[in-house]
Order: sequence, then C-alpha cells, then structure tokens
Amino acid sequence: MTLFTRNNCKLCKKIKSRFDLSAMEIKIETLTNDNAGALAHLAWHGLVEDARKSLPILVLDDSSPVRNFARIENRLIERSNKLGVPFQSESNIICEGGNCALQ
Amino acid sequence: MGVVLPLEPIGRNTEKISYSQNETTDLALFVRTSEEDITGWNRQRIVDALLRETFIDPDTAVRISKDVEKTVKSGALKTVTGPLIRELVNARLLELGLEQNRRMHTRLGVPLYDVDQLLVHQNKENANIPHGPEATNLTLAEGIKKEYALLHVFSEDVADAHLKGDIHLHDLGFIDRPYCSGQSLEYIKKFGLNLPHALSLAAPARHPEVLLSHMVKFAAALQSNFAGAIGWDAVNLFFAPYLEDLDDKGVRQLAQMMIFEFSQQAVARGGQAIFSDINIYWEVPRHFVDVPAIGPGGKYTGKTYGEYEKEAQRFAWALFDVYQEGDAAGRPFFFPKPLVHITEKLFITEGHEAFLEHICDVAADKGNTYFVFDRGETAKISECCRLSFKLEARDIEDAKKPWKMRYSALQNVTINLPRLGYRAKGDDATLFDLLTEQIRLAAKGHQQKKAFIEKLMAHGENGPLSLLAMKCDGENYLRLERCSYLVGMVGLNELVKTHLGRELHDSDEAMKFGLQVIAHMNLVCRKMGERFGMKFVLEQTPAESTAYRFAKLDMAHYSEEAAMVVQGNVENNEMYYTNSTLYTAAGEMNPIRRVEREGLFHPLIEAGAITHIWLGEAHPDKNSLKGFVENVFKHTQNDQIAFSPEFTVCLDCGRTMRGLRDDCSYCRSNHVDGITRITGYFTRVSSWNKGKIGELRDRYRNPNQL
Ligand SMILES: [Zn+2]
Repeated sequence: MTLFTRNNCKLCKKIKSRFDLSAMEIKIETLTNDNAGALAHLAWHGLVEDARKSLPILVLDDSSPVRNFARIENRLIERSNKLGVPFQSESNIICEGGNCALQ
Repeated sequence: MGVVLPLEPIGRNTEKISYSQNETTDLALFVRTSEEDITGWNRQRIVDALLRETFIDPDTAVRISKDVEKTVKSGALKTVTGPLIRELVNARLLELGLEQNRRMHTRLGVPLYDVDQLLVHQNKENANIPHGPEATNLTLAEGIKKEYALLHVFSEDVADAHLKGDIHLHDLGFIDRPYCSGQSLEYIKKFGLNLPHALSLAAPARHPEVLLSHMVKFAAALQSNFAGAIGWDAVNLFFAPYLEDLDDKGVRQLAQMMIFEFSQQAVARGGQAIFSDINIYWEVPRHFVDVPAIGPGGKYTGKTYGEYEKEAQRFAWALFDVYQEGDAAGRPFFFPKPLVHITEKLFITEGHEAFLEHICDVAADKGNTYFVFDRGETAKISECCRLSFKLEARDIEDAKKPWKMRYSALQNVTINLPRLGYRAKGDDATLFDLLTEQIRLAAKGHQQKKAFIEKLMAHGENGPLSLLAMKCDGENYLRLERCSYLVGMVGLNELVKTHLGRELHDSDEAMKFGLQVIAHMNLVCRKMGERFGMKFVLEQTPAESTAYRFAKLDMAHYSEEAAMVVQGNVENNEMYYTNSTLYTAAGEMNPIRRVEREGLFHPLIEAGAITHIWLGEAHPDKNSLKGFVENVFKHTQNDQIAFSPEFTVCLDCGRTMRGLRDDCSYCRSNHVDGITRITGYFTRVSSWNKGKIGELRDRYRNPNQL
C-alpha cells in the first residue's frame, strides 16, 4: 500500500499521527516541489488529477485507489487490526486552509 | 547562413546612391564603381559605422578604415558594394581579435545561392506553407529575423544551445511576435472590427454573415501578429444569438461559409492558411450558463447563454455536416480544426448520444474531429496542434465578461531529451542534473523573449505590435502578465531507450522512468516559474521539424549513441525522434492501451497533450468509435485524441480515395498525392519533411481494433 500525502495537509497529518504507517508496511509518498519520484508514482497510478482535488489518497496493493477520507481511515483500521499494530482513537480534524490537495 | 559576396560586376550603373543618417548602414556605406574609379568613396563612413554600432575606440576605427581603403583601392576588386565593405571591415575586426565588436557589426543577409534555391524549391520546414512568391518572401524574412534573434535577442549560451541542438527555440523567424493565441468571439461582437491603422472601422455585426466576415478578418490580422495558431472559444455558442431567425438551411449555409473561409485563406501571410481552431461544445459550458449573451449590434439580448443551447447545438451539428461532406472533391478540410469538448455535462445533456455519433462518424470518415477531454471541473481553450489553456479561477471570473478571455503562449522551447541520455551515460543523477540545466536555459530564453516583446509593446498603439496593444476593453489585447511560456520535449522514448535499453512501451519500468523524467520537468518548471514570476508549462511539442532536426544533429555529433535509438531510415535521411512523450509510432499495440498508457503523462503536461490513432485506410464503425471515446473519457487520464485516416487524391482526375496509394484506382494515373495528419493537422504528404516521411512509413495503423 502507498499513501500519497503533502506537508502542511491537516488530513495527511492526522493519518500520520493516528497510525503507525511504517509498522503497517505502508509506503508514504510526500508530494513536494522536489519529489519527482513521488509525483511520477502518483502519475503511474493515474491519480494526478484526483490529488489536485484532495489528499491524502491511499493506493491498495491491487493498485486501486481510495480517495474518501473516512474510507481511508477504515482501511487503515482494518489493516492495523489485521497486523496487530496499535493506533490512536479518532480526533475529528477537518481540512482547513485548503492544503489538503496537490497544488 | 553564411554570406556570399558577389565579386562580378552587378551593373554598369555608376550612380551614387544617396543616403542619410537614418538609413540602414548598408545603404549609408554604399559605393559603386566604374572600372577605374570609386565613386562616392568616403572612408569616414566606415569609421562612423564602427563608432555607432560597436564599442571600438576611434583610433582603431580609423586604422581599420585605412586598411580597408587600401584593399578597396588596390584595384583587385571590380565592384565594391556596401555589404562587401562591411565584410572586409569584419574580417579586419576578426584579425584584430575584436570578436564582440565583429558580432555587433555583423550583417544579416542571405547568400545568393540560398535565395536561388528558395525561389525555385519548396521550404519543407512547415508543411502548412505552400510554395510561391509570398511563401518565399516569408522564408526570406524569417531567415533574417532568425539570425537577428540569435545574435541580438538571446544571450550567447541560449543561442548556442539552439544552434547545437540541445534545445530548440521555435519560430525564431517570428521573433517579434508571440507564439499563439486563443480568444473569444465576444471581443469582435462587442467592439466590432476596430483594428489599429485600418482604413475603416466596422461597428459590431448585426448579421451572422457579417460576424463571420469579422471573425475571418480578425483571424487574418491576428495571424500577422502571432507566429502560430489562432483559436476561438465556444464558437457555436457565441454565434447562437445571431441564429435565432435562421432556419436550418441558413445555419447550414453559415457553417459551410465558415469552414470554406478558413480553409481557403491560403491567400494570407506567406500564402499560409491560418492555423485556426474552433472549440465546440454540445452543452452550454457551466461557466457560460449565466453569462448575459451579446447579440446583433453588440447589444445584450436580455437572455443568458444558457438559454441559447438549442441554437448552439444546431450550429455545432451543421458544422459537422459540412466536415463530413468535405470539400468539392470530397477531401477533408485542413482548417479550421474542430475541437469538441467532452465534459461531464455533455453526458447529461439531451441529444448527446446522437451528437457523439455524428462527430464520431466524421472522425471515421474524414478524421477532422478532435476529442478534448475536460474531466471534473476542468475547463479549457484548446488550439494549435494540442495546446490548451486550462482556465484558472481568475479566468472563470473573466468568463462573466467573455471578451476578456484571450490567452497567449509567448514562446515555445523544446528540449532534446535523447541527447541528455547520451551525455548522462546511464547515470541517473547526471541525467536529472543535465535536464534541470536545459530547462534553466529554456527559462532564460523565455525571459529574453519576454523582455524583447515587452520592448516592442512599450511603443503602444503606434508601435510594431499595435494590434496587440489595442485597448478596446481598457487593457492591451495581449495581456503579457497572463502569458504562458511553453517548455516542450522531443524523444522521451529514445531517451528511455538510451538510458534503460528499453522503449516506453516495452516495460513498466521504462514507463515509470519516463514518468519520472516528465515529473521532474514539471516540478522544475514550476520552481523556475515561481522564481521568475512567469508561468512555465510543459507542452507536448508538435515538433514537426524539430524531431527531424534533433535526430540529424545527434547523428552528426553523437553518432554512435544516436544510431542505437534513432527512428526511421538513416540511409535515406528519413530519420526522426519520437514526438514528445508518445510511444514509438511503429509500436504494435491495441489503441485503447496506447491511449491509456500515453495518457498517464498527460496530467503532468499541463499545456496540452494528444494521442493519435492512425487509422490507415480502415473505416471504423461510428458506434465503436463512440464507445471508444466514452471509454477514454471515463477510464483514462488522456487529454485529447484524434483518429487519422489516410487519403490519396488524384491530381489528374481529381478524385479522392481512401488509403495511401501509388496510383489512382479510377484512372490509374500515378500523379497522386497523399493526405493525412502530420502532427496536429491534415496536410498533403508531398509537403512533408524527410523525418515525417520516415515516421509515416513506420506508423502502426490500427485497422480492426476499434
Ligand atoms: Zn485519377
């Protein structure tokens, strides 16, 4: 699985603080102005336009994307439970300031 | 171009040419001679020119003038002309090691041999230019402006990179114009045809035919002020308020007039048809629904454009009826190119099924239709071979006053990607460093062109770009601060092959690496844009001649490496690099796979991308094309597609046949010519450059896979 994120994106931060992504073997791709590799990876999955609308995006092992934030959380809870990796309880954060998308 | 000096007597006329300070230096220095005497010789003129044009000191100037006088008076020369004197001075400057001064004192011109070749043989750099006195005028003027640009507009490093073939500065012969323009009919609907220095002013049109004639004249005026394409937004919608009183026959007549007017404009600049595009919507685009409509006489009709859907649809339908019929010989129209926007709203607009069938029928029959995909909230104006201007928030705001909607790309610079592969020798870090360096050079070239155009624009409505400086709506027609600067690429496929040993279509790994190259270009452009306050965007360069030029230069300078990857037939000079990020033309693959895979690049190439589907002589069923188009919209990232059939026209009996043939299937004449799409438009194959001919031979046609 790969999680596409941005710096300064509240929803991305929330995910990262709530779940132990590395223990869950989830690759984090941070989309920055210097990270061509992450952008190319995003493009490979055909998700550039989607990321311009909203981030984070989770790509499952079968390459299918999950864009909806609540569904991403559900997927990650499932995986945490399956792998026995602990995670923090919910802390209702919404995206403020419009940073939750690829600019 | 070098300079050839005529040493034979030009004429017996010994008349001294009068001159004044304001005349060009060549005239000011002009002296003619009889066999014995030099009439009007004045050594001081050499000194004056050197002091005026260079940084040389007076003593050296006098010394050079004396040296040259000695040569001139030695009697070895039968005829002395201004250009010859200038060359003698330049030779002296060179001998004295004054290279910078020699550059400043140089003369721009064309060798006799070249002019002779030009007047007699066709220029194949751009297949849209026919051969004739106007065309040769254009080529000669372009030649001089190109030299001027390389010497005087661009810095030495940028000019050298162009000359060596590291980058390609497009349209150097049009250095004093922006690249291309997309605009709205609303400008002439509201303000009439009010061109600077025109002999007459025309008030806003009251009748549809008059509006059409304004549109065509304005397009011709714009063509004289831009190097490339002239595109029009939502043409069927903006005509709609004029069509209420027209019956279907009248609408059809108007559609026919529009297409013939544009396709027969080969009487304009350089005998070159206006590279024109018309954007067409079946639905009323969201951003125009609530906009008050302008109708006859430039007055608001009291309705919004949302209320003109039916009229707009009638016109769109009629335009495609005309495309389907073709010209009087049944050939496809080359211009104006119809770009149909496929949007989410299209699929919920009544009648879309039938309209899609109609435009797919035309695509299968004649190939004209371009399918432009605007997914989600995206809206854009498309033009040129694939260029599109994505509308940002401020542009959507402009849509409330649609005459404001005019977008221009100031210049296009293309990067020779395969060469970076040869230089990087398989090392990733070196490759990406080199790529950044080339984009930096391209950005520098853009800054220099911008500065030059700003200088011309500063003269305002009395200057050389008066049309672009006209201010009917209070601001310059050319809104420089809104211009884009295009960065293109040629030969991603060959770069990847050099670097990884595989072509883009060969493996996922090759494809992923290709994406990384384009992602890198995207990010570097963005960063440079922020730094310079300019909008640098990637575009798939049409590269009609650049793909050939780069391949030839690399075969000369990197022959060993280039020979491994160059496409086409090197022996007969029909070599080329694959355009932009396209898969190799020869790649045998299912068209949907090509569209899907090539489409992965498209979101990174924000100023426009396209996938071509070469049909050959196949004539797919309109319904299968329709299904294909819907599929592409819903399940891929592809920005734009076009289907290209091939035709043969018989130059003896005038008939048109499907497919490229060596002879006419009706009269058996072998006096025939082919017609198909070269890069982004239809043209006659006989006018193609050798690289494109090579590509045409290689193109994998998709006969039965649609
Ligand atoms: Zn014939």
